Amino acid sequence: MAYPRTGRALIAVLAASMLVATACAGNTPTASNAPSGSAAASAAGTDKPQDGGRIISGSISDIATMQPVLVNDTASGEVTSLLYATLIDVDAKTGEPKPGMATFSAAADGLSYSFEIGANVNWSDGKPVIAQDVLTGIMATAKSAKTVRKSSYTTIKGFQDFVDGKADSITGVAIDSANPKKLTVTLTSVTCPALLNIANTYRILPTQVFGKYVQKANKPEDIDNAPENVNPTVSSGPFLFQEWRKGDQVILKKNPTYFRGAPHVDQYVFKVVANTTALTNGLKTGEITYSTIAAKDLADMQTVDTVKIQKYPQLGYTFIGWDTQSTNDGAALSDKRVRQALAYGVDMDAVIKAVVFGEAVAHVAHHVPVQWSYPTDTSSLNPYKYDKAKAQQLLTDAGWVKGADGILAKDGKKFTMTISTNSGNTERETLAQVAADQYKQLGIDAKAAPEAFQGLVTKLTTGDKTLDATIIGWSLGTEPDPYSIWHSSQIPDPAKNVTGFGFTYFKDADMDKAIEQARTPSNGDCSTAARKKNYDTFNKILNEQQPYNFGYVPNTLAAAQKTLQGWNPAPFSTLYNVQDWWVKQ
Amino acid sequence: MYAIPTLFGVSVLTFAIVRLSPGDPIRIFTFGARDITAEDIDKLRHVYGLDKPMPLQYLDWLVRLVHLDFGQSFIYHQDAFQLFIQYIPATLQLAILALVLQLLIGVPLGIVAAFRRGTWVDGAIRVFGVVGHAVPGFWLGLVLIIFFAVQLRWLPTGGILTVGKDQWDILDRLRHILLPAFVLSLTGIANYARLLRTETLDVLGQDFVRTAHAKGLRERTVVFVHALRNALIPVITSLGGILAALIGGALVIEQVFSWPGIGRFTFQAAIAKDYPVVQAGVMISAALLIFSNIIRDIAYGVVDPRISVK
Repeated sequence: MAYPRTGRALIAVLAASMLVATACAGNTPTASNAPSGSAAASAAGTDKPQDGGRIISGSISDIATMQPVLVNDTASGEVTSLLYATLIDVDAKTGEPKPGMATFSAAADGLSYSFEIGANVNWSDGKPVIAQDVLTGIMATAKSAKTVRKSSYTTIKGFQDFVDGKADSITGVAIDSANPKKLTVTLTSVTCPALLNIANTYRILPTQVFGKYVQKANKPEDIDNAPENVNPTVSSGPFLFQEWRKGDQVILKKNPTYFRGAPHVDQYVFKVVANTTALTNGLKTGEITYSTIAAKDLADMQTVDTVKIQKYPQLGYTFIGWDTQSTNDGAALSDKRVRQALAYGVDMDAVIKAVVFGEAVAHVAHHVPVQWSYPTDTSSLNPYKYDKAKAQQLLTDAGWVKGADGILAKDGKKFTMTISTNSGNTERETLAQVAADQYKQLGIDAKAAPEAFQGLVTKLTTGDKTLDATIIGWSLGTEPDPYSIWHSSQIPDPAKNVTGFGFTYFKDADMDKAIEQARTPSNGDCSTAARKKNYDTFNKILNEQQPYNFGYVPNTLAAAQKTLQGWNPAPFSTLYNVQDWWVKQ
Repeated sequence: MYAIPTLFGVSVLTFAIVRLSPGDPIRIFTFGARDITAEDIDKLRHVYGLDKPMPLQYLDWLVRLVHLDFGQSFIYHQDAFQLFIQYIPATLQLAILALVLQLLIGVPLGIVAAFRRGTWVDGAIRVFGVVGHAVPGFWLGLVLIIFFAVQLRWLPTGGILTVGKDQWDILDRLRHILLPAFVLSLTGIANYARLLRTETLDVLGQDFVRTAHAKGLRERTVVFVHALRNALIPVITSLGGILAALIGGALVIEQVFSWPGIGRFTFQAAIAKDYPVVQAGVMISAALLIFSNIIRDIAYGVVDPRISVK
């Protein structure tokens, strides 16, 4: 579940029925490909922004909360990001950190970060945003029993002691006694993702509102059930909360005191509709101002002359994960050559045409092109161009020979494989079917098996060994750290009560080392250049070993009324410049 | 008094079905949480009371149920009962209007068909009855949306109220409710048309009607005072059950028309495995159904003294 722009990487793309990829998605170089879109944008350049009107954002799921500490879904993430601002933003196009409410600097040893909140940054009630508000957010997360965000702060000195009730305050957060807008956060050890985890988050809470829930005597329920979680009274973001009509719409009004300037529009309405068909209908009639759309609806939307479309590769990918320790199929998938054959043996471009109408790019490593962590020198990655002969050769090398029935076999065992995916997601069901068909042509007895997302997720993360191959998607965040997906410590092991996302059971000592060095470098160097070097190694190993068939990076397809000006969704954020959006009357 | 054991049975079934379906809610909503540890997950499981043995969880739930405490939604972090009842008005509006439409359209159609028995009017109404029964609501809903909302732009594509309109803008609400209420009522219209046709024909053939004619009463008096009064008895008694059926049937319609009612809310909760909300939804719906059945039984007794509630 994606929480846009928070640095919460690794977010599983949910079943289509629950997912709206509203925020972080896109590609660096060219954002707009749609002729209509670019024409409208250039025409708009000469117009003077008009104040007034409203933006209606379409979504297929309602929000759950407006408390950043509790947010755990895309919809709530979108609304929360309009109500609260972050200390540090990331560049919408490149994902590189840049000042938000605060400027920042890292200590030479990488062990602490200093922040100074801008003098002009105030809460909507007129009080200044101060360092104490950062602490209030961290304490609220520590106090909450229901948050899933505690891990963001575990590297802060004294955080765990506060969580355990051993301390009254968090020693690692030091507020400048002379300047209430300055603070320094000290870590227990150098951890590169910490900067974005701590500062690229909306969990900077107004102490005048939430302070009373995070005192020593407070119980977890006090913050978890605070009435302001569903009725926020004080904001730092571009909009203020007005009304939540459950299951229908959330109405926000502009914040005249927003530090980047008041938005042009009077209202931002988060409108909930039932499904993607309702979304496209609403876009056609103008009931919805902007939304992302499904690939299947693109051709239809392109015929609507009141709507403009922007497309760009997503910050995520759809893949087939192999159980590299599977014993179901004569242990075929444990052989690197077999996995490589499965990469050569799929005509991914044909698959992309069949599954997402060509709106995707074939992918062969973990990081996606839009991230800075993606290798600059792509020649280090094998593109696995479709080559059936090579696939067959690799299978033969691995000892798999076709029997009389045309099915590959080795040591008397047939190569059978079930490709599971979450049912109800038509795109993935088609992908499973198309992939199974292509693997059949190699002589593999492959079949597709849709299964409820809920059951699938549980099996994947708890080490249930019944799945050979699974199609699912990752939505990656602003922080590229792949630890929770690829480090060997994340491989589920029911015997030891270890759970995690390492459901391919693939491990490699060099890869572990590269991940660790980019996350907790022994020399304290968290520079992009140093981390990138390790990520090059990491991506190269994955590319070579193929624990996933890395599938493809789908395009995000964003549609908006042509009257909406200034709207320019970028890879890492859709809403980064929402205050500049205006509606042409 | 059969209501109590029935509700108890429903509670057992609900709990079993909801809990035994595959998937662990904690796993599902922590799937996107990076770096979450097994320890964190165990703590969450404890917070939500999912670490106890299943029978104990059931007993806990049952005890709280008696106090109308359905627990807290896993997703919304709010009281499940309080949440659920906020969606009831939308569904009730839809169900009641659908019921009105059924009666206003279905009953006259049936009567007309009976009096024009064997004519093309009767034939047309009977064909409509079959079609009305056979057409799937979700399909008809989509077709009507495309025609009236997307093509003609006469009506909105969905939802309950235009963005920016006042909550009490009745005209705007009517524009939104028209299509879903019609689609929801269609099966009922067909049912009532058929029921009324049969009942009216039945009554028209009975002795007292013949007697009334023989007495020399005017045709109008025979029809309205004697025949229809009796033909309408099954309609009145069916009302209780119909309302419950409409609330149940609203799920699909709510999904097609983005109607923020209990059907869609419960459906989404089921997908997210939000146990407390699903359980509250099913229990409250079951209670409503049982309640409307009781009303129906009482209505039988009132309209037809030969039947009484013991």
